[in-house]
Amino acid sequence: MISIKNLHASIEGKSILNGINLDIKPGEVHAIMGPNGAGKSTLSSVLAGRADYTVTAGEVNFMGKDLLELSPEDRAREGMFLAFQYPVEIPGVSSTNFLKTAINEKRKYHGQEPMEATDFLKFMRSKMEEMEMDKSLTSRSLNEGFSGGEKKRNEVFQMAMLEPKFCIMDETDSGLDIDALRLVSAGVNKLRNSERSFLVITHYQRLLDYIVPDFVHVLYKGRIVKSGDASLAKELEVKGYDWIKQEVEAAV
Amino acid sequence: MTFLEQIKNDFNLYAAQATEDSFSDLRKNAFATFEKLGVPTTQLEEWKYSNLRSVQQGNFTTSCVSNLDADALIKAGILNKIIANKLVFVNGCLFPELSIWLETDERIVVSSLAQARKEHPATFEAHFGKYINFSEEGLLALNTALMSDGAFVFVPEGAAMQHPLMITNITDANEHSVFQQPRNLIIIEKNASATVIENYMAVGVHASFTNVVNEIFVGENGQLEHYKVQRAAGETYHANYTQLHQLANTNINQVTLTLDGKWVRNNLHFFMNGQNCNSLLYGLYIPDGNQFVDNHSRVDHAKPNCFSDEKYKGILKDDAVAVFNGKIVVHEDAQKTNAYQRNQNILLSNTATINTKPQLEIFADDVKCTHGATIGQLDEEPMFYLRSRGISEQEARRLLLNAFADDIAEKIKIPQLVAILESEIDRKL
Ligand SMILES: Nc1ncnc2c1ncn2[C@@H]1O[C@H](COP(=O)(O)OP(=O)(O)O)[C@@H](O)[C@H]1O
Ligand SMILES: [Mg+2]
Repeated sequence: MISIKNLHASIEGKSILNGINLDIKPGEVHAIMGPNGAGKSTLSSVLAGRADYTVTAGEVNFMGKDLLELSPEDRAREGMFLAFQYPVEIPGVSSTNFLKTAINEKRKYHGQEPMEATDFLKFMRSKMEEMEMDKSLTSRSLNEGFSGGEKKRNEVFQMAMLEPKFCIMDETDSGLDIDALRLVSAGVNKLRNSERSFLVITHYQRLLDYIVPDFVHVLYKGRIVKSGDASLAKELEVKGYDWIKQEVEAAV
Repeated sequence: MTFLEQIKNDFNLYAAQATEDSFSDLRKNAFATFEKLGVPTTQLEEWKYSNLRSVQQGNFTTSCVSNLDADALIKAGILNKIIANKLVFVNGCLFPELSIWLETDERIVVSSLAQARKEHPATFEAHFGKYINFSEEGLLALNTALMSDGAFVFVPEGAAMQHPLMITNITDANEHSVFQQPRNLIIIEKNASATVIENYMAVGVHASFTNVVNEIFVGENGQLEHYKVQRAAGETYHANYTQLHQLANTNINQVTLTLDGKWVRNNLHFFMNGQNCNSLLYGLYIPDGNQFVDNHSRVDHAKPNCFSDEKYKGILKDDAVAVFNGKIVVHEDAQKTNAYQRNQNILLSNTATINTKPQLEIFADDVKCTHGATIGQLDEEPMFYLRSRGISEQEARRLLLNAFADDIAEKIKIPQLVAILESEIDRKL
């Protein structure tokens, strides 16, 4: 699905990612954990194509394509989806119009006809039902006035609508209470299948009780310093990040 | 003939036919004042950026003559699908075939101004010229000296207009250049309400100079929805002076959309002369090419406990130039005033220019006032969000600009009209 090799990235001359290596196969769920400031959001931003960051070394292969050469919109059209840590409110752009535009631009990219308005509405209605989305949310402006939980649920709903192949979730659990966390996780689990891969970024282990990963990686100072299975997350839950930091410092 | 000779000539023509002229007695004084003041120049602080020099070289014709028939006018896009009372003026004179009257309340009067002077002299005299002061404004004096005609709207005490009134002014510059001085007088009495739309458009290749003056009075508890839609494309120069005088407990919602015009200067002046008034002023301008738009506004809070909210937004393309100059004046008496003002601009090119000057003059101590102006490009964050969902940069920009503009268009409370205007905005963007 995606293969990241020796990825270095910096912002304003400050190096943040210092050689990331990561391979994700179709259907796999990888979790990235790490203390604040480790570079988790930077990794997701670089993968999604945010222009503020400069990639200084390394390469990313996304289903046979050189990801770093693609514009953000082409990355999305090729099947990448980033669920934002802080989804932005866009007053005046209706959620429905936004989703229709996004779906049809993707179809155009793949040489398909645009979806008929009625087909689109039917499709949206069925996805809303499946994801248990409230009608009132999609009839409003995009994320405008949404609570933290509603914003995150809306990210997962967009994921369902756009049917990506590879989903990056940047701290989707941050700011959620336990009920919202359950709802969001249930949505994500519905979208899991043998083709679709996930990169779940989180600071806390608690999300991984609901979305159980195949692999867990620890990011620290812009590098993956430890990898393991779901039990690594449990270990971090008990021991915190300090022992990892100490291990890394000791090795230097 | 120079512009000033032309004006003198026009005045003399009116003077020569004084017996048939409804406004002959009003013109004399105004003309003397105009001769003293002249056409405003950029030497005046308030006209620093608004240059009328090219008008002064123009060879204008003051004449209602137009070869357009009703069909041609409808085709020109006079918003005939909107259900409304209608008055249509072509080159300043009433075109009666296209007038539509839907109201059943016979107390309400809508007519040409010339006709109103004859048929409703008392009401006319009580209000005409009472709210503007032409002694310091050259273009106001000019309009009063040479006014062609315009709308007279009288909604008496307790009456409510059931449909909007649309006053359409069409400049037909197919045959010759056009010089016109429309003058509207709108009187909403106590407990009365109305919706008035000014709709400006132009056809033809020649130049035009349209110098409009609106006087609007809203009596106690009166309600007014007032929309100005400026879409006069081509070689059009358009000056529009609107004075609103409101008494206690009145609500006014005013929206100005400037979608086209080579040179547009709006002066909007609210005088809140009573307690508990609500005044809303919204504006949108989208100049492109070499277009110039200047919005000058002044809100006078003269009495306590009033609220005003002003928001003007601009999207500038190409080499366009825009000016925003908004003044809020809170008089000594006007305690508990709430006054807000914002001017937000998006510049889509490096060669577009905006001059913005929000001003507060506060002479009372217990007031809440804020103002501010922003100039910039589209925000990065929403752009990236949309693109990360597969939407192209161009389409993302279109969605965001439309959202920015529609925020103002939607202040108009006629959904059918909003839909038409939003599609025109979309085309212009
Ligand atoms: N726009 C920026 N300008 C400067 N430094 C930044 C910027 N964004 C992130 N950083 C820095 O990069 C480091 C990693 O940040 P981030 O990727 O957000 O970490 P995480 O998501 O793991 O908490 C931090 O030290 C942060 O201060
Ligand atoms: Mg982060």
